[in-house]
Amino acid sequence: MIAILNVYRFRLRLPISRTTRVLSGLTAALLVALGWSAASGALGVSPWELISGEADSLNVQVWWQLRLPRLLLGVAVGAMLAGSGTAMQGLFRNPLADPTLLGLASGAGLFVALWIVLFQDSGAGSLYGQFAAGFLGALCVCLIVFGVAKRQGSGSAAVMTLLLAGLAINTLAGAGGGVLAFIASDEQLRQLSLWGMGTLTNALWRTTALAIVLITVALWRLMRSARELDLLQLGEATAHAAGLDASRLKRRVVVATSLGVGLCVALTGVIGFLGLLVPHCLRLWLGPSHRLLLPASMLGGALLLVVADTLARTVAVPAEIPVGLLTSLLGGPYFLYLLMRRNRTC
Amino acid sequence: MLTLHQTGLTTTPAIAPLDGTLRPGELLAIVGPNGAGKSTLLSLLSGFRPAEQGELHLDGKPLREWPIAELANRRALVAQQELPGFDWQTIELVSLGSNPAKSLVAELLDDLDLTHLAKRSVLSLSGGERQRVMIARGACQLLSRCSPTARDGGLLLLDEPTSALDIGQQQRLMRQLRAWAAQHRIAIVCVLHDLNLANTYADQVWLLHQGKRIDHGLPHQVLNPTAIAQVYAVELQHIEGTPHGKPLLALSP
Repeated sequence: MIAILNVYRFRLRLPISRTTRVLSGLTAALLVALGWSAASGALGVSPWELISGEADSLNVQVWWQLRLPRLLLGVAVGAMLAGSGTAMQGLFRNPLADPTLLGLASGAGLFVALWIVLFQDSGAGSLYGQFAAGFLGALCVCLIVFGVAKRQGSGSAAVMTLLLAGLAINTLAGAGGGVLAFIASDEQLRQLSLWGMGTLTNALWRTTALAIVLITVALWRLMRSARELDLLQLGEATAHAAGLDASRLKRRVVVATSLGVGLCVALTGVIGFLGLLVPHCLRLWLGPSHRLLLPASMLGGALLLVVADTLARTVAVPAEIPVGLLTSLLGGPYFLYLLMRRNRTC
Repeated sequence: MLTLHQTGLTTTPAIAPLDGTLRPGELLAIVGPNGAGKSTLLSLLSGFRPAEQGELHLDGKPLREWPIAELANRRALVAQQELPGFDWQTIELVSLGSNPAKSLVAELLDDLDLTHLAKRSVLSLSGGERQRVMIARGACQLLSRCSPTARDGGLLLLDEPTSALDIGQQQRLMRQLRAWAAQHRIAIVCVLHDLNLANTYADQVWLLHQGKRIDHGLPHQVLNPTAIAQVYAVELQHIEGTPHGKPLLALSP
Protein backbone atom coordinates (compact mmCIF):
# COMPACT_ATOMS: atom_id res chain seq x y z
CA MET A 1 0.00 0.00 0.00
CA ILE A 2 2.74 2.41 1.02
CA ALA A 3 4.71 1.43 -2.09
CA ILE A 4 1.73 2.18 -4.32
CA LEU A 5 1.28 5.54 -2.66
CA ASN A 6 4.94 6.36 -3.12
CA VAL A 7 4.88 5.59 -6.83
CA TYR A 8 1.70 7.57 -7.08
CA ARG A 9 3.18 10.59 -5.34
CA PHE A 10 6.20 10.46 -7.62
CA ARG A 11 3.99 10.52 -10.69
CA LEU A 12 2.04 13.54 -9.53
CA ARG A 13 4.62 16.12 -8.58
CA LEU A 14 2.21 17.48 -5.96
CA PRO A 15 3.48 19.71 -3.20
CA ILE A 16 4.96 16.82 -1.22
CA SER A 17 4.40 18.15 2.25
CA ARG A 18 0.62 18.24 2.30
CA THR A 19 0.06 15.04 0.35
CA THR A 20 2.54 13.21 2.54
CA ARG A 21 1.04 14.60 5.71
CA VAL A 22 -2.52 13.69 4.78
CA LEU A 23 -1.85 10.26 3.31
CA SER A 24 0.59 9.14 5.98
CA GLY A 25 -1.76 10.43 8.68
CA LEU A 26 -4.63 8.40 7.22
CA THR A 27 -2.38 5.36 6.80
CA ALA A 28 -1.29 5.61 10.44
CA ALA A 29 -4.92 5.91 11.58
CA LEU A 30 -5.80 2.86 9.49
CA LEU A 31 -2.97 0.84 11.02
CA VAL A 32 -4.05 1.79 14.53
CA ALA A 33 -7.63 0.82 13.71
CA LEU A 34 -6.43 -2.51 12.29
CA GLY A 35 -4.44 -3.21 15.45
CA TRP A 36 -7.43 -2.44 17.63
CA SER A 37 -9.72 -4.49 15.43
CA ALA A 38 -7.32 -7.45 15.36
CA ALA A 39 -7.22 -7.57 19.13
CA SER A 40 -10.91 -7.22 19.84
CA GLY A 41 -13.82 -9.53 19.27
CA ALA A 42 -15.67 -12.42 20.79
CA LEU A 43 -12.35 -14.20 21.14
CA GLY A 44 -9.74 -11.98 22.72
CA VAL A 45 -6.49 -12.57 20.92
CA SER A 46 -3.64 -10.09 21.18
CA PRO A 47 -0.93 -9.94 18.51
CA TRP A 48 1.65 -10.83 21.19
CA GLU A 49 -0.10 -14.11 21.85
CA LEU A 50 0.00 -14.91 18.15
CA ILE A 51 3.69 -14.22 17.83
CA SER A 52 4.78 -15.97 20.99
CA GLY A 53 2.51 -18.92 20.29
CA GLU A 54 1.20 -18.97 23.85
CA ALA A 55 -2.44 -18.91 22.88
CA ASP A 56 -4.26 -22.20 22.57
CA SER A 57 -4.50 -23.45 19.02
CA LEU A 58 -8.24 -22.84 18.56
CA ASN A 59 -7.92 -19.12 19.28
CA VAL A 60 -4.97 -18.78 16.97
CA GLN A 61 -6.77 -20.68 14.25
CA VAL A 62 -9.85 -18.54 14.56
CA TRP A 63 -7.67 -15.46 14.29
CA TRP A 64 -5.82 -16.65 11.20
CA GLN A 65 -8.76 -18.26 9.43
CA LEU A 66 -11.57 -15.85 10.28
CA ARG A 67 -10.43 -12.56 11.71
CA LEU A 68 -7.42 -11.76 9.51
CA PRO A 69 -9.21 -12.31 6.17
CA ARG A 70 -12.11 -10.31 7.55
CA LEU A 71 -9.82 -7.38 8.39
CA LEU A 72 -8.23 -7.46 4.96
CA LEU A 73 -11.60 -7.74 3.25
CA GLY A 74 -12.79 -4.74 5.27
CA VAL A 75 -9.81 -2.71 4.05
CA ALA A 76 -10.33 -3.74 0.42
CA VAL A 77 -14.11 -3.25 0.38
CA GLY A 78 -13.94 0.08 2.25
CA ALA A 79 -11.26 1.40 -0.08
CA MET A 80 -13.15 0.19 -3.14
CA LEU A 81 -16.53 1.62 -2.17
CA ALA A 82 -15.14 5.01 -1.17
CA GLY A 83 -12.71 5.15 -4.10
CA SER A 84 -15.36 4.29 -6.66
CA GLY A 85 -17.72 6.81 -5.09
CA THR A 86 -15.07 9.50 -5.50
CA ALA A 87 -14.42 8.50 -9.09
CA MET A 88 -18.13 8.41 -9.97
CA GLN A 89 -18.65 11.84 -8.43
CA GLY A 90 -15.77 13.12 -10.53
CA LEU A 91 -17.14 11.46 -13.65
CA PHE A 92 -20.60 12.95 -13.22
CA ARG A 93 -19.28 16.22 -11.79
CA ASN A 94 -21.82 15.82 -9.05
CA PRO A 95 -20.92 15.40 -5.36
CA LEU A 96 -23.99 13.24 -4.76
CA ALA A 97 -23.21 10.52 -7.34
CA ASP A 98 -21.99 7.04 -6.46
CA PRO A 99 -21.92 3.50 -7.91
CA THR A 100 -25.43 2.74 -6.74
CA LEU A 101 -26.51 5.62 -8.97
CA LEU A 102 -25.39 3.83 -12.12
CA GLY A 103 -27.26 0.73 -11.00
CA LEU A 104 -24.03 -1.23 -10.64
CA ALA A 105 -24.61 -2.22 -7.03
CA SER A 106 -28.25 -3.15 -7.51
CA GLY A 107 -27.47 -5.00 -10.75
CA ALA A 108 -24.81 -7.01 -8.99
CA GLY A 109 -27.22 -7.52 -6.09
CA LEU A 110 -29.97 -8.84 -8.38
CA PHE A 111 -27.63 -11.37 -9.95
CA VAL A 112 -26.43 -12.57 -6.56
CA ALA A 113 -30.02 -12.91 -5.38
CA LEU A 114 -30.84 -14.86 -8.56
CA TRP A 115 -27.95 -17.16 -7.79
CA ILE A 116 -29.05 -17.69 -4.20
CA VAL A 117 -32.69 -18.41 -5.08
CA LEU A 118 -32.40 -20.33 -8.35
CA PHE A 119 -29.07 -22.11 -8.54
CA GLN A 120 -27.47 -22.37 -5.17
CA ASP A 121 -27.05 -25.78 -3.62
CA SER A 122 -25.48 -25.81 -0.21
CA GLY A 123 -22.18 -27.12 -1.60
CA ALA A 124 -18.76 -25.66 -1.12
CA GLY A 125 -18.81 -23.72 -4.39
CA SER A 126 -21.63 -21.44 -3.29
CA LEU A 127 -19.41 -18.48 -2.38
CA TYR A 128 -17.61 -18.62 -5.71
CA GLY A 129 -20.98 -18.69 -7.41
CA GLN A 130 -22.15 -15.63 -5.54
CA PHE A 131 -18.88 -14.00 -6.39
CA ALA A 132 -19.19 -14.71 -10.10
CA ALA A 133 -22.84 -13.65 -10.11
CA GLY A 134 -22.03 -10.23 -8.64
CA PHE A 135 -19.21 -9.80 -11.07
CA LEU A 136 -21.47 -10.75 -13.96
CA GLY A 137 -24.32 -8.53 -12.77
CA ALA A 138 -22.16 -5.43 -12.56
CA LEU A 139 -20.63 -6.23 -15.93
CA CYS A 140 -24.09 -6.64 -17.55
CA VAL A 141 -25.27 -3.33 -16.12
CA CYS A 142 -22.06 -1.77 -17.36
CA LEU A 143 -22.66 -3.05 -20.90
CA ILE A 144 -26.33 -2.03 -20.90
CA VAL A 145 -25.54 1.45 -19.61
CA PHE A 146 -22.85 1.90 -22.22
CA GLY A 147 -25.05 0.54 -24.99
CA VAL A 148 -27.64 3.15 -24.10
CA ALA A 149 -25.05 5.91 -23.78
CA LYS A 150 -23.36 5.04 -27.08
CA ARG A 151 -26.48 5.87 -29.07
CA GLN A 152 -26.32 9.37 -27.61
CA GLY A 153 -22.81 10.04 -28.88
CA SER A 154 -20.20 11.72 -26.72
CA GLY A 155 -21.93 15.04 -26.09
CA SER A 156 -22.98 16.48 -22.78
CA ALA A 157 -26.28 14.60 -23.08
CA ALA A 158 -24.36 11.36 -22.63
CA VAL A 159 -23.75 11.90 -18.92
CA MET A 160 -27.43 12.59 -18.31
CA THR A 161 -28.31 9.48 -20.32
CA LEU A 162 -25.97 7.42 -18.16
CA LEU A 163 -27.74 8.69 -15.04
CA LEU A 164 -31.19 7.93 -16.42
CA ALA A 165 -30.14 4.47 -17.58
CA GLY A 166 -28.86 3.83 -14.05
CA LEU A 167 -32.20 4.95 -12.63
CA ALA A 168 -34.08 2.55 -14.91
CA ILE A 169 -31.77 -0.32 -13.96
CA ASN A 170 -32.18 0.41 -10.26
CA THR A 171 -35.96 0.26 -10.62
CA LEU A 172 -35.75 -2.94 -12.63
CA ALA A 173 -33.38 -4.59 -10.15
CA GLY A 174 -35.64 -3.57 -7.27
CA ALA A 175 -38.64 -5.20 -8.96
CA GLY A 176 -36.60 -8.30 -9.80
CA GLY A 177 -35.46 -8.56 -6.18
CA GLY A 178 -39.10 -8.36 -5.08
CA VAL A 179 -40.10 -11.21 -7.37
CA LEU A 180 -37.19 -13.32 -6.11
CA ALA A 181 -38.10 -12.66 -2.48
CA PHE A 182 -41.64 -13.76 -3.32
CA ILE A 183 -40.64 -17.13 -4.76
CA ALA A 184 -37.76 -17.82 -2.35
CA SER A 185 -37.99 -20.48 0.35
CA ASP A 186 -37.82 -19.44 3.99
CA GLU A 187 -34.19 -20.46 4.31
CA GLN A 188 -33.23 -18.55 1.14
CA LEU A 189 -35.20 -15.54 2.27
CA ARG A 190 -33.26 -15.41 5.52
CA GLN A 191 -29.98 -15.71 3.64
CA LEU A 192 -31.07 -13.00 1.21
CA SER A 193 -32.05 -10.57 3.91
CA LEU A 194 -28.88 -11.15 5.98
CA TRP A 195 -26.67 -10.71 2.93
CA GLY A 196 -28.72 -7.73 1.76
CA MET A 197 -28.03 -5.85 4.99
CA GLY A 198 -24.32 -5.93 4.29
CA THR A 199 -21.84 -7.89 6.35
CA LEU A 200 -18.22 -8.97 6.27
CA THR A 201 -18.85 -12.38 7.84
CA ASN A 202 -18.35 -14.15 4.50
CA ALA A 203 -14.63 -13.47 4.64
CA LEU A 204 -12.83 -16.74 4.02
CA TRP A 205 -9.33 -16.97 2.67
CA ARG A 206 -10.15 -18.64 -0.62
CA THR A 207 -12.58 -15.93 -1.72
CA THR A 208 -10.97 -13.04 0.09
CA ALA A 209 -7.54 -13.49 -1.45
CA LEU A 210 -8.88 -13.42 -4.98
CA ALA A 211 -11.18 -10.51 -4.19
CA ILE A 212 -8.32 -8.48 -2.75
CA VAL A 213 -6.16 -9.04 -5.82
CA LEU A 214 -8.95 -7.99 -8.19
CA ILE A 215 -9.98 -5.02 -6.06
CA THR A 216 -6.36 -3.84 -5.93
CA VAL A 217 -6.28 -3.89 -9.72
CA ALA A 218 -9.50 -1.87 -9.86
CA LEU A 219 -8.16 0.64 -7.30
CA TRP A 220 -4.97 1.02 -9.27
CA ARG A 221 -6.94 1.77 -12.44
CA LEU A 222 -8.90 4.44 -10.58
CA MET A 223 -5.76 6.02 -9.15
CA ARG A 224 -4.33 6.32 -12.64
CA SER A 225 -7.40 8.35 -13.62
CA ALA A 226 -7.00 11.07 -11.00
CA ARG A 227 -5.44 13.74 -13.20
CA GLU A 228 -7.91 13.08 -15.99
CA LEU A 229 -10.85 13.29 -13.58
CA ASP A 230 -9.57 16.73 -12.58
CA LEU A 231 -9.52 17.79 -16.23
CA LEU A 232 -13.04 16.51 -16.78
CA GLN A 233 -14.26 19.07 -14.24
CA LEU A 234 -13.78 21.71 -16.95
CA GLY A 235 -16.64 20.24 -18.99
CA GLU A 236 -16.21 17.80 -21.85
CA ALA A 237 -15.42 20.22 -24.68
CA THR A 238 -12.90 22.24 -22.67
CA ALA A 239 -11.37 19.10 -21.17
CA HIS A 240 -10.99 17.64 -24.67
CA ALA A 241 -9.13 20.78 -25.71
CA ALA A 242 -6.96 20.39 -22.61
CA GLY A 243 -5.91 16.93 -23.77
CA LEU A 244 -8.48 14.60 -22.22
CA ASP A 245 -9.85 11.58 -24.07
CA ALA A 246 -13.15 11.57 -22.20
CA SER A 247 -14.55 8.35 -23.62
CA ARG A 248 -11.43 6.44 -22.67
CA LEU A 249 -11.59 7.87 -19.17
CA LYS A 250 -15.28 6.97 -18.82
CA ARG A 251 -14.64 3.46 -20.04
CA ARG A 252 -11.77 2.96 -17.63
CA VAL A 253 -13.55 4.36 -14.59
CA VAL A 254 -16.84 2.56 -15.24
CA VAL A 255 -15.18 -0.80 -15.91
CA ALA A 256 -12.91 -0.55 -12.86
CA THR A 257 -15.82 0.55 -10.69
CA SER A 258 -18.23 -2.09 -11.91
CA LEU A 259 -15.76 -4.90 -11.40
CA GLY A 260 -14.73 -3.70 -7.96
CA VAL A 261 -18.23 -2.89 -6.78
CA GLY A 262 -19.64 -6.12 -8.26
CA LEU A 263 -17.12 -8.04 -6.21
CA CYS A 264 -17.84 -6.07 -3.05
CA VAL A 265 -21.59 -6.59 -3.37
CA ALA A 266 -21.19 -10.30 -4.04
CA LEU A 267 -19.03 -10.79 -0.96
CA THR A 268 -20.58 -8.40 1.50
CA GLY A 269 -23.99 -7.30 0.27
CA VAL A 270 -24.80 -3.63 0.07
CA ILE A 271 -22.79 -1.52 2.51
CA GLY A 272 -24.36 1.89 2.16
CA PHE A 273 -23.10 5.46 2.42
CA LEU A 274 -19.37 4.77 2.28
CA GLY A 275 -19.14 5.83 -1.37
CA LEU A 276 -21.10 8.98 -0.67
CA LEU A 277 -19.99 9.95 2.82
CA VAL A 278 -16.21 9.45 2.76
CA PRO A 279 -15.40 11.51 -0.36
CA HIS A 280 -17.89 14.16 0.70
CA CYS A 281 -16.30 14.68 4.11
CA LEU A 282 -12.76 14.50 2.76
CA ARG A 283 -13.53 17.00 0.01
CA LEU A 284 -14.58 19.55 2.62
CA TRP A 285 -11.16 19.07 4.23
CA LEU A 286 -8.82 18.51 1.27
CA GLY A 287 -10.48 20.32 -1.62
CA PRO A 288 -11.72 18.80 -4.86
CA SER A 289 -8.52 17.73 -6.64
CA HIS A 290 -8.70 13.98 -7.28
CA ARG A 291 -4.95 13.62 -7.15
CA LEU A 292 -5.14 13.86 -3.38
CA LEU A 293 -8.83 13.12 -2.83
CA LEU A 294 -8.83 9.73 -4.54
CA PRO A 295 -6.08 8.04 -2.49
CA ALA A 296 -7.28 9.80 0.66
CA SER A 297 -10.83 8.49 0.08
CA MET A 298 -9.55 4.96 -0.36
CA LEU A 299 -7.67 5.14 2.94
CA GLY A 300 -10.58 6.88 4.63
CA GLY A 301 -13.09 4.31 3.35
CA ALA A 302 -10.91 1.46 4.58
CA LEU A 303 -10.53 3.16 7.97
CA LEU A 304 -14.25 3.78 8.36
CA LEU A 305 -15.26 0.26 7.38
CA VAL A 306 -12.68 -1.39 9.65
CA VAL A 307 -13.88 0.70 12.61
CA ALA A 308 -17.55 0.11 11.79
CA ASP A 309 -17.03 -3.61 11.37
CA THR A 310 -15.16 -3.87 14.67
CA LEU A 311 -18.02 -2.07 16.40
CA ALA A 312 -20.53 -4.28 14.60
CA ARG A 313 -18.96 -7.46 15.91
CA THR A 314 -18.17 -6.23 19.45
CA VAL A 315 -21.01 -4.02 20.71
CA ALA A 316 -23.50 -6.90 21.05
CA VAL A 317 -21.22 -9.91 21.67
CA PRO A 318 -21.88 -12.74 20.94
CA ALA A 319 -24.42 -11.44 18.41
CA GLU A 320 -23.28 -9.45 15.42
CA ILE A 321 -24.91 -6.42 13.81
CA PRO A 322 -24.69 -6.37 10.00
CA VAL A 323 -22.12 -3.65 9.33
CA GLY A 324 -24.18 -2.29 6.43
CA LEU A 325 -26.95 -1.42 8.90
CA LEU A 326 -24.41 0.31 11.12
CA THR A 327 -22.88 2.41 8.34
CA SER A 328 -26.33 3.41 7.13
CA LEU A 329 -27.47 4.28 10.66
CA LEU A 330 -24.36 6.39 11.28
CA GLY A 331 -23.95 7.74 7.77
CA GLY A 332 -27.52 8.59 6.85
CA PRO A 333 -28.21 11.23 9.50
CA TYR A 334 -24.72 12.74 9.18
CA PHE A 335 -25.17 13.03 5.46
CA LEU A 336 -28.54 14.73 5.91
CA TYR A 337 -26.89 17.14 8.33
CA LEU A 338 -24.18 17.92 5.76
CA LEU A 339 -26.81 18.51 3.10
CA MET A 340 -28.69 20.96 5.29
CA ARG A 341 -25.52 22.82 6.21
CA ARG A 342 -24.55 22.95 2.55
CA ASN A 343 -27.87 24.44 1.56
CA ARG A 344 -27.62 27.08 4.25
CA THR A 345 -24.23 28.34 3.09
CA CYS A 346 -25.12 28.35 -0.61
CA MET B 1 -1.25 28.69 -38.37
CA LEU B 2 -4.79 27.41 -38.85
CA THR B 3 -6.03 26.85 -42.39
CA LEU B 4 -9.46 25.76 -43.62
CA HIS B 5 -10.17 24.38 -47.10
CA GLN B 6 -13.87 23.87 -47.72
CA THR B 7 -14.16 22.74 -44.10
CA GLY B 8 -17.66 21.94 -42.95
CA LEU B 9 -20.03 19.80 -40.90
CA THR B 10 -22.85 17.90 -42.59
CA THR B 11 -24.70 16.53 -39.56
CA THR B 12 -26.89 18.83 -37.48
CA PRO B 13 -25.92 21.39 -36.33
CA ALA B 14 -24.22 21.80 -39.71
CA ILE B 15 -21.67 24.30 -40.94
CA ALA B 16 -21.51 25.06 -44.68
CA PRO B 17 -18.01 24.58 -46.18
CA LEU B 18 -15.71 27.54 -45.70
CA ASP B 19 -12.13 28.61 -46.40
CA GLY B 20 -9.92 30.69 -44.20
CA THR B 21 -6.53 31.31 -42.68
CA LEU B 22 -5.63 32.42 -39.19
CA ARG B 23 -2.07 33.67 -38.76
CA PRO B 24 0.02 34.01 -35.59
CA GLY B 25 -0.83 37.18 -33.69
CA GLU B 26 -4.22 37.58 -35.33
CA LEU B 27 -7.53 38.06 -33.56
CA LEU B 28 -10.57 36.65 -35.34
CA ALA B 29 -14.07 37.59 -34.23
CA ILE B 30 -16.96 35.28 -35.09
CA VAL B 31 -20.27 37.14 -35.00
CA GLY B 32 -23.83 36.26 -35.89
CA PRO B 33 -27.31 35.97 -34.38
CA ASN B 34 -28.37 33.32 -31.83
CA GLY B 35 -28.30 29.86 -33.36
CA ALA B 36 -26.13 30.92 -36.29
CA GLY B 37 -23.64 28.14 -35.52
CA LYS B 38 -20.92 30.18 -33.80
CA SER B 39 -20.28 27.70 -30.98
CA THR B 40 -20.52 24.80 -33.43
CA LEU B 41 -17.88 26.44 -35.61
CA LEU B 42 -15.72 26.89 -32.53
CA SER B 43 -15.98 23.20 -31.63
CA LEU B 44 -15.06 22.41 -35.24
CA LEU B 45 -11.97 24.63 -34.98
CA SER B 46 -11.02 23.01 -31.66
CA GLY B 47 -11.34 19.49 -33.07
CA PHE B 48 -14.06 18.48 -30.59
CA ARG B 49 -16.27 17.89 -33.62
CA PRO B 50 -14.03 16.50 -36.38
CA ALA B 51 -14.49 18.06 -39.83
CA GLU B 52 -16.92 16.06 -41.95
CA GLN B 53 -16.06 17.90 -45.18
CA GLY B 54 -12.90 19.45 -46.53
CA GLU B 55 -9.63 19.96 -44.71
CA LEU B 56 -8.67 21.62 -41.44
CA HIS B 57 -4.94 22.04 -40.80
CA LEU B 58 -3.03 23.29 -37.79
CA ASP B 59 0.65 24.00 -38.51
CA GLY B 60 0.23 22.23 -41.84
CA LYS B 61 -0.99 18.95 -40.31
CA PRO B 62 -4.63 17.80 -40.45
CA LEU B 63 -6.26 18.39 -37.08
CA ARG B 64 -7.57 14.82 -36.82
CA GLU B 65 -4.04 13.45 -37.11
CA TRP B 66 -2.88 15.37 -34.03
CA PRO B 67 -2.64 13.21 -30.90
CA ILE B 68 -5.12 14.62 -28.40
CA ALA B 69 -2.44 15.37 -25.78
CA GLU B 70 -0.13 17.08 -28.24
CA LEU B 71 -2.94 19.19 -29.61
CA ALA B 72 -3.57 20.46 -26.09
CA ASN B 73 -0.14 22.09 -26.21
CA ARG B 74 -1.14 24.08 -29.27
CA ARG B 75 -4.72 25.13 -28.67
CA ALA B 76 -6.98 25.80 -25.72
CA LEU B 77 -10.72 26.31 -25.52
CA VAL B 78 -12.83 28.33 -23.10
CA ALA B 79 -16.41 27.19 -23.58
CA GLN B 80 -19.51 29.07 -22.47
CA GLN B 81 -20.86 29.19 -18.92
CA GLU B 82 -19.25 26.15 -17.41
CA LEU B 83 -19.71 25.94 -13.68
CA PRO B 84 -17.18 23.57 -12.13
CA GLY B 85 -18.95 20.91 -10.06
CA PHE B 86 -16.72 21.31 -7.02
CA ASP B 87 -15.29 24.05 -4.90
CA TRP B 88 -11.95 24.86 -6.52
CA GLN B 89 -9.80 27.77 -5.50
CA THR B 90 -9.22 30.32 -8.24
CA ILE B 91 -5.52 29.55 -8.37
CA GLU B 92 -6.11 25.77 -8.52
CA LEU B 93 -8.58 26.13 -11.35
CA VAL B 94 -6.29 28.39 -13.38
CA SER B 95 -3.55 25.75 -13.11
CA LEU B 96 -5.87 22.88 -14.03
CA GLY B 97 -4.85 21.03 -17.17
CA SER B 98 -1.28 22.23 -17.14
CA ASN B 99 1.71 22.39 -14.86
CA PRO B 100 2.38 26.12 -14.88
CA ALA B 101 5.21 28.06 -13.31
CA LYS B 102 4.02 30.14 -10.37
CA SER B 103 5.21 33.30 -12.09
CA LEU B 104 3.06 32.60 -15.14
CA VAL B 105 -0.05 32.04 -13.00
CA ALA B 106 0.65 35.25 -11.09
CA GLU B 107 1.12 37.14 -14.35
CA LEU B 108 -2.14 35.83 -15.84
CA LEU B 109 -4.09 36.57 -12.66
CA ASP B 110 -2.73 40.10 -12.78
CA ASP B 111 -3.53 40.44 -16.50
CA LEU B 112 -7.19 39.65 -15.83
CA ASP B 113 -7.51 41.57 -12.56
CA LEU B 114 -7.89 38.40 -10.48
CA THR B 115 -4.95 38.63 -8.10
CA HIS B 116 -7.11 39.62 -5.12
CA LEU B 117 -9.34 36.56 -5.77
CA ALA B 118 -6.51 34.01 -6.01
CA LYS B 119 -7.42 32.12 -2.83
CA ARG B 120 -11.19 32.48 -3.14
CA SER B 121 -13.45 29.54 -3.89
CA VAL B 122 -14.63 29.70 -7.48
CA LEU B 123 -18.24 28.96 -6.55
CA SER B 124 -18.29 32.11 -4.40
CA LEU B 125 -17.26 34.38 -7.29
CA SER B 126 -19.62 36.43 -9.44
CA GLY B 127 -20.38 35.31 -12.98
CA GLY B 128 -18.01 37.83 -14.53
CA GLU B 129 -15.18 36.98 -12.14
CA ARG B 130 -15.64 33.29 -12.85
CA GLN B 131 -15.60 33.96 -16.56
CA ARG B 132 -12.25 35.71 -16.25
CA VAL B 133 -10.93 32.76 -14.20
CA MET B 134 -11.87 30.36 -17.00
CA ILE B 135 -10.22 32.60 -19.61
CA ALA B 136 -7.07 32.76 -17.48
CA ARG B 137 -7.13 28.95 -17.32
CA GLY B 138 -7.31 28.64 -21.10
CA ALA B 139 -4.43 31.07 -21.56
CA CYS B 140 -2.47 29.28 -18.85
CA GLN B 141 -2.88 25.93 -20.61
CA LEU B 142 -1.62 27.36 -23.88
CA LEU B 143 1.26 29.39 -22.47
CA SER B 144 2.53 26.95 -19.85
CA ARG B 145 2.82 23.97 -22.16
CA CYS B 146 5.21 25.67 -24.57
CA SER B 147 8.50 27.43 -23.99
CA PRO B 148 8.25 31.17 -24.69
CA THR B 149 9.90 30.69 -28.09
CA ALA B 150 7.56 27.89 -29.22
CA ARG B 151 4.24 29.64 -28.58
CA ASP B 152 4.12 31.11 -32.07
CA GLY B 153 0.88 30.16 -33.78
CA GLY B 154 -0.80 28.61 -30.75
CA LEU B 155 -4.57 28.86 -30.85
CA LEU B 156 -6.84 30.26 -28.12
CA LEU B 157 -10.56 29.70 -28.72
CA LEU B 158 -13.02 31.72 -26.64
CA ASP B 159 -16.78 31.28 -26.73
CA GLU B 160 -18.45 34.59 -25.79
CA PRO B 161 -15.68 35.64 -23.39
CA THR B 162 -17.38 38.96 -22.63
CA SER B 163 -20.91 37.69 -22.00
CA ALA B 164 -20.82 38.23 -18.21
CA LEU B 165 -18.35 41.11 -18.03
CA ASP B 166 -19.14 44.75 -17.23
CA ILE B 167 -18.29 47.29 -19.91
CA GLY B 168 -14.98 48.22 -18.29
CA GLN B 169 -13.87 44.59 -17.98
CA GLN B 170 -14.98 43.93 -21.56
CA GLN B 171 -12.59 46.58 -22.87
CA ARG B 172 -9.88 45.44 -20.51
CA LEU B 173 -10.22 41.81 -21.64
CA MET B 174 -10.16 42.68 -25.34
CA ARG B 175 -7.07 44.85 -24.84
CA GLN B 176 -5.46 41.98 -22.97
CA LEU B 177 -6.29 39.51 -25.74
CA ARG B 178 -4.63 41.86 -28.24
CA ALA B 179 -1.62 42.10 -25.95
CA TRP B 180 -1.34 38.29 -25.62
CA ALA B 181 -1.68 37.87 -29.38
CA ALA B 182 1.09 40.39 -30.00
CA GLN B 183 3.38 39.31 -27.17
CA HIS B 184 3.21 35.52 -27.61
CA ARG B 185 2.32 35.45 -31.32
CA ILE B 186 -0.73 33.28 -30.60
CA ALA B 187 -3.88 33.41 -32.71
CA ILE B 188 -7.12 34.13 -30.88
CA VAL B 189 -10.66 33.32 -31.97
CA CYS B 190 -13.52 35.03 -30.11
CA VAL B 191 -17.22 34.50 -30.50
CA LEU B 192 -18.66 37.97 -29.84
CA HIS B 193 -22.10 39.54 -29.70
CA ASP B 194 -20.95 43.12 -29.33
CA LEU B 195 -20.25 44.32 -32.87
CA ASN B 196 -18.34 47.34 -31.55
CA LEU B 197 -15.89 45.09 -29.72
CA ALA B 198 -15.43 43.07 -32.91
CA ASN B 199 -15.03 46.23 -34.94
CA THR B 200 -12.52 47.80 -32.55
CA TYR B 201 -10.29 44.85 -31.67
CA ALA B 202 -10.50 42.17 -34.38
CA ASP B 203 -8.18 41.76 -37.36
CA GLN B 204 -10.79 39.83 -39.28
CA VAL B 205 -14.47 39.12 -38.75
CA TRP B 206 -16.54 36.15 -39.88
CA LEU B 207 -20.25 36.83 -40.06
CA LEU B 208 -22.37 33.70 -39.61
CA HIS B 209 -26.04 33.18 -40.37
CA GLN B 210 -27.95 29.88 -40.30
CA GLY B 211 -24.80 27.77 -40.39
CA LYS B 212 -23.33 29.66 -43.34
CA ARG B 213 -20.58 32.22 -43.37
CA ILE B 214 -22.19 35.21 -45.10
CA ASP B 215 -19.10 37.37 -45.23
CA HIS B 216 -15.57 37.61 -43.95
CA GLY B 217 -12.75 40.13 -44.02
CA LEU B 218 -11.81 43.38 -42.32
CA PRO B 219 -14.23 44.40 -39.55
CA HIS B 220 -15.48 47.65 -41.05
CA GLN B 221 -16.13 45.94 -44.39
CA VAL B 222 -18.01 42.95 -42.96
CA LEU B 223 -19.99 44.90 -40.39
CA ASN B 224 -21.75 47.09 -42.96
CA PRO B 225 -25.36 48.24 -42.68
CA THR B 226 -26.61 46.02 -45.52
CA ALA B 227 -25.20 42.78 -44.13
CA ILE B 228 -26.27 43.59 -40.57
CA ALA B 229 -29.80 44.39 -41.71
CA GLN B 230 -29.95 41.09 -43.58
CA VAL B 231 -28.65 38.95 -40.71
CA TYR B 232 -29.99 40.65 -37.59
CA ALA B 233 -32.95 42.54 -39.06
CA VAL B 234 -31.83 45.78 -37.37
CA GLU B 235 -30.73 49.11 -38.76
CA LEU B 236 -27.08 50.02 -38.27
CA GLN B 237 -25.22 53.29 -38.71
CA HIS B 238 -21.50 53.97 -38.85
CA ILE B 239 -20.64 57.05 -36.82
CA GLU B 240 -17.24 58.42 -37.74
CA GLY B 241 -14.96 60.68 -35.77
CA THR B 242 -14.16 58.50 -32.73
CA PRO B 243 -10.78 59.10 -31.02
CA HIS B 244 -9.42 55.66 -31.99
CA GLY B 245 -10.27 56.26 -35.67
CA LYS B 246 -12.66 53.33 -36.04
CA PRO B 247 -16.33 54.04 -36.66
CA LEU B 248 -18.84 53.51 -33.86
CA LEU B 249 -21.58 51.10 -34.83
CA ALA B 250 -24.87 52.51 -33.60
CA LEU B 251 -28.20 50.72 -33.78
CA SER B 252 -31.35 52.65 -34.56
CA PRO B 253 -34.11 51.88 -32.09
